[in-house]
Amino acid sequence: MSDQKLTEYVTLVSSDGFEFKILRSAACIAGAIKKALDPTYGFREGEQNSVTFASINGVVLEKVCEYLYYNQKHAKSKEVPDMEIPPELCLELLIAADYLDV
Amino acid sequence: MSARRGGRGGRGRTGAGIRGPHSALTDFLASHNISARDIRDSAAQRIAQAEQLTAQEASEAAANGDSVPQDEENVEEEEEEADVQEESSAMAASRSRKRKRDQEEAIAKIKKGKAAKKKAPKKKQKGGSDVDDSDFDVMDMYKKAKKLPGQLENCELCDKRFTVTPYSKAGPDGGLLCTPCGKEMVKEAKMAEKAAKPVQRKGRRKLESNRLDGLITHGAKTLQTLCIETLAKHADDIEELGEMPEPIVNRLSEIFSKKRAMTSNTMKLFVQPDMDAVAIHEAAYLETEDFDQIFAVNPNIKKLALRNCCQFKDQNLDYMIEKAQHIEDIQLLGANLVSNDKWLDLFVARGPALKSFKVEWLDAAFDDQAVEALTTFCPNLARLKLERCKRIGTDSIDAIARLEHLEHLTLRFCTEIPRDRLVHMIACTGANLRTLCLENFLDGTADPADDMLDTIHSTCRKLQKLRFTENNEVSDAGFVNLFHGWSNPPLRYIDVNSTRDLDNANPDGPEEYPVGLASNGFTAMMAHSGAKLEFLDISSCRHISYEAFAAAFDGVKVYACLREINLSFCPVVTTEVVAGIFRSCPSIQKVVTFGCFEVREVEVPRGIVLIGAPKAQDAIEQFGDTVFDFQRLDGAGGFGSAGFVGGRVVPVAG
Repeated sequence: MSDQKLTEYVTLVSSDGFEFKILRSAACIAGAIKKALDPTYGFREGEQNSVTFASINGVVLEKVCEYLYYNQKHAKSKEVPDMEIPPELCLELLIAADYLDV
Repeated sequence: MSARRGGRGGRGRTGAGIRGPHSALTDFLASHNISARDIRDSAAQRIAQAEQLTAQEASEAAANGDSVPQDEENVEEEEEEADVQEESSAMAASRSRKRKRDQEEAIAKIKKGKAAKKKAPKKKQKGGSDVDDSDFDVMDMYKKAKKLPGQLENCELCDKRFTVTPYSKAGPDGGLLCTPCGKEMVKEAKMAEKAAKPVQRKGRRKLESNRLDGLITHGAKTLQTLCIETLAKHADDIEELGEMPEPIVNRLSEIFSKKRAMTSNTMKLFVQPDMDAVAIHEAAYLETEDFDQIFAVNPNIKKLALRNCCQFKDQNLDYMIEKAQHIEDIQLLGANLVSNDKWLDLFVARGPALKSFKVEWLDAAFDDQAVEALTTFCPNLARLKLERCKRIGTDSIDAIARLEHLEHLTLRFCTEIPRDRLVHMIACTGANLRTLCLENFLDGTADPADDMLDTIHSTCRKLQKLRFTENNEVSDAGFVNLFHGWSNPPLRYIDVNSTRDLDNANPDGPEEYPVGLASNGFTAMMAHSGAKLEFLDISSCRHISYEAFAAAFDGVKVYACLREINLSFCPVVTTEVVAGIFRSCPSIQKVVTFGCFEVREVEVPRGIVLIGAPKAQDAIEQFGDTVFDFQRLDGAGGFGSAGFVGGRVVPVAG
């Protein structure tokens, strides 16, 4: 493991150019992001510590980031309160979640 | 209030003389030359003066016709107040104070009442043009005494006139409410209380229910689950699902069905022209026209699954035959309005193209003739499921025996079938079968024998799933023969629940010749299939001994794939056996032990759920939290994925 190469934070970029800098550990809860950032695969995303999503807009990506932190916070606990999801975002978020594998 | 002392209690006091009850504070103040009585009296006086003043003012205002400007009035007030104060202090010294106070109060009251009466009509005459006045009016109304029971009053909310009763409710602004409004308010209050209170309780109950459904939740739900659940909550607001992956659409359909939200409106979301399959797991709310919609919107449909489709009629089947020319997989549950002849029409029309046919819960039509037509016209059937269809019997078994391409066969009849016919059917179709489910097949006439199991042993080579349940006519020796030296590869799924003796007088069954799956059969089964076994149901197999369980789950033998095991009502299962299962089955997720009274105080490893341990102190199911040594060795920590779905409807959270 080359720990010095792995930054603590990574950047997620939405289709409309919003950048979200979040903890690597949280970002890697999403299977797709984890694979994209995995240094063993040698993707450009892994080198730049940044992933761009052409199909996810800023509003949805923000919610995704919120979820990732929510998931990380409750990883060890039981009886987790459900995260509120605004109904109007639901379908887009569902498609994003399917894409990101979370 | 301070503690009082009786007069006699004052023996030790310095102040002499006999007095009435006294408080300690009074004594203290007296020693400082302050009389409590004086204080009280002057306070009362001040109150009386204030009342008098307002009364005077009111009468003055009435006399002046309320034309006095506000400022002037105020000045007057102040002057008067000062005068009266001086006067009163003098009077207080000379007169009997109490009497005066009472008098004043009485006078003030009378005056005030008069003034108010005088004032009210005058105000009305003026027409309420003066803002200050109208304010005053409201204040007066506010002070009005509440109506007594029997009197009439206007409801505060709806303004209706009603008779006041002792049960009339007070409104939000202090007035009274009529009976309907009062009821409404009580209801609202109750609702608010309900909404505020049971959140915790509901959460707990739901959690327990989810646990019993086998939904193991550690940490947060996945974002997909959250989204799907939110979607289901807003079922009626969705207009279109859009480009959604098919597994998600199916999952949504399952949740909608579970929540009984599958109506004519919401059904349209799941019927899209470009999809191969339409699966509606709860179609009880759909009308006859809705079923036509499916084929009108999606004529290219290949797979149709409708459960509880009570309103599915002949005309729907006609329309399907006409429109859906590519359909090859049909599942209909409870379609009792389809007549026998229409079933025949369907089989003739689809003919060799039909690959899969599943019907359940049919009792009005669908008889042996229909099954014969099915096997005659649709020889390419690979999957057949006939469960709880009341009008079919032995002839159907013979008909099924003619299906050469069967791979999955599930049967549960409502009549007794001679065993030799079943043996014949298994012998004819067994070689290609991957799934064989025979539930509750009893002969009833012939002597118990193991020829069915023997036939399975000799013909089946490709079985992965075997269900052979509710049977007391097979013996342990039969199971030993089945699994011993069977050239079928290890099974993935075994359900042999309720194969046991049914003699109440002798619950242990005959010792020499055990009935159903007992110790030897169980040992042979685990030896044959243990390596690949994922699901095992041996509930109510009462004749398996403790030794057999202990030997099978000794913590050394490993059943790498076993995920779910049901040991309910196996009375010999103990805490040690359950602990052995935890060690022997690294991928285990769910252990069911209803009615196993020897299971107590088990420490459940993390990621595993133990359901139904009757002696468990706190909960009927226990969630593992401890990470055991043997789990650390794996490194995985037992975090299995909770979603193992084998083609059936999985429980839905919420």
